[in-house]
Amino acid sequence: MDDLKLLRDLGAELEHQPPPTLARQRERFLRGRPWRRWPGWWTAALVAAATAVAVAVPALLVADRHTAAPPAGTDVVDVSGTRNVLLIGSDTRAGEGNEEYGPNLARQPGSGGRRSDTIMIVHVPADRSRTTAVSVPRDSMVRIAPCGSDPARTDLINSAYDSGGAACLRATLEALTGLRLHHTVEVDFAGFKDMVDALGGVPVKLPQPVDDKAAKLKLPAGESVLNGEQALGYVRLRRYGDGSDIQRVKRQQQFVLSMLREVRTRLAADPVRLKDFMGEVRRSVRTDLSLEEMYELGTQLADTEMKTVSVPWEPAARDRNRLQWRQPEADRLFASLK
Amino acid sequence: MITQPAVRGADADLVRASWTDPEAFAELFDRYSAMLYRYVTRRLGPEPAEDLVGETFLVAFSRRKSYDLAYPDARPWLFGILTKLVSRHHRTEAARYRALLRAPVDSDVESPADRVAAGVTAQAVRAELAGALAALPAKDRDVLLLIAWGDLTYEEVARALGIPVGTVRSRLNRGRRKVRAALGDANPMEKE
Repeated sequence: MDDLKLLRDLGAELEHQPPPTLARQRERFLRGRPWRRWPGWWTAALVAAATAVAVAVPALLVADRHTAAPPAGTDVVDVSGTRNVLLIGSDTRAGEGNEEYGPNLARQPGSGGRRSDTIMIVHVPADRSRTTAVSVPRDSMVRIAPCGSDPARTDLINSAYDSGGAACLRATLEALTGLRLHHTVEVDFAGFKDMVDALGGVPVKLPQPVDDKAAKLKLPAGESVLNGEQALGYVRLRRYGDGSDIQRVKRQQQFVLSMLREVRTRLAADPVRLKDFMGEVRRSVRTDLSLEEMYELGTQLADTEMKTVSVPWEPAARDRNRLQWRQPEADRLFASLK
Repeated sequence: MITQPAVRGADADLVRASWTDPEAFAELFDRYSAMLYRYVTRRLGPEPAEDLVGETFLVAFSRRKSYDLAYPDARPWLFGILTKLVSRHHRTEAARYRALLRAPVDSDVESPADRVAAGVTAQAVRAELAGALAALPAKDRDVLLLIAWGDLTYEEVARALGIPVGTVRSRLNRGRRKVRAALGDANPMEKE
């Protein structure tokens, strides 16, 4: 009687075969921590900040002109009622410095053109009490709505955007969620950085010095003028102050306000720089919202609390490297937003 | 459990490729995740296995730059990381063996024929084996199971655990002696 042989037999008896869900672990190390938060808090924050600036700045300029001489017919804009905004954080300038903010951005399958790296449905209820941002995992396998000459198919959700643009992604998500998506806002990541640089930097006042390796940021206490790179680190910054989300969101709001102040005080008086800046904003944001609608929505949203959730998911049955939405949880989530 | 076909590239090449192209590391996952999974389920059951395999690769990935490329086979390296992670679950492991002392195993053996071929004798002495495993010092158990369940050689175990081969031998001998003693005690033929 060989003891090792007996042990081996016992082992074979105790053994379990790997389930398909083991595939989730494959992505875990590749994307590491950033992936688990991707699209996570700072992506959401970045998009939110970029959107806020992109939305608020032109609105502000328009608003100033409006107070001077409101053109007839444009001063009444109705953005009341429930609004669902499809927010697409894209990375059209991969390779120009974006890849360091997401190790996987540069390796996305599909076209070399635009890629949706963050897909969010921002739900604004009629009473504006609380905004919910639902992030959609970009490697979800879903039924893609027919758009243009492309027939309906089952594919990765971001392929809808890669091949058919925002309109196709919107139609797909409307069919999947049963929600009507009233507007689309596309924001380019690199745009935020460039906007800050085009501004010539944005001043911030720090109560305590920052030295954060994760955000690659080192700043003394007191007032500093941040360039685009530093600004990106600053809005990403997590371990600072009491480290709470609330404080971080506040910091971002203050940063956005500071940006707006810069635009108002310095840029408005400098047509050349203003032109550069607006160029960056235009490059970074594409939306079907008019300036007036942006302004209205922007001001309404300024004070609401934003909650971020993710569509419930599980590894796809047919391809272990993809995800599929977990039902009935996903449907339940969207039903709660109706 | 799994042997490497000679045709494919050495693990070390993948590790080196992953220094510049992290995606290359995924190939290592495809090669060994199932093997590591099966090993963990033997020791700890299916409950924590998935997460532990994921963590093993997470740790391995973060240390890929310090991998010694002189070793073409990455299995000992991965098993070494996994063994450390398993040791955090020693209570789960002990409870698992204790449960074997009492209850029959709800095993996933596919056919009765497999069972006959593989399990009959082991099943007969399962309680004794489990009792012996539970009673072993963790260091001896790690060595014994890396050899019996992980299919590593002495040299590979030495590399996995960062100990001399002589130590592997002595721990293995001690472990096996205790297992044999447990089996011997259970053998009615040898009882007086």
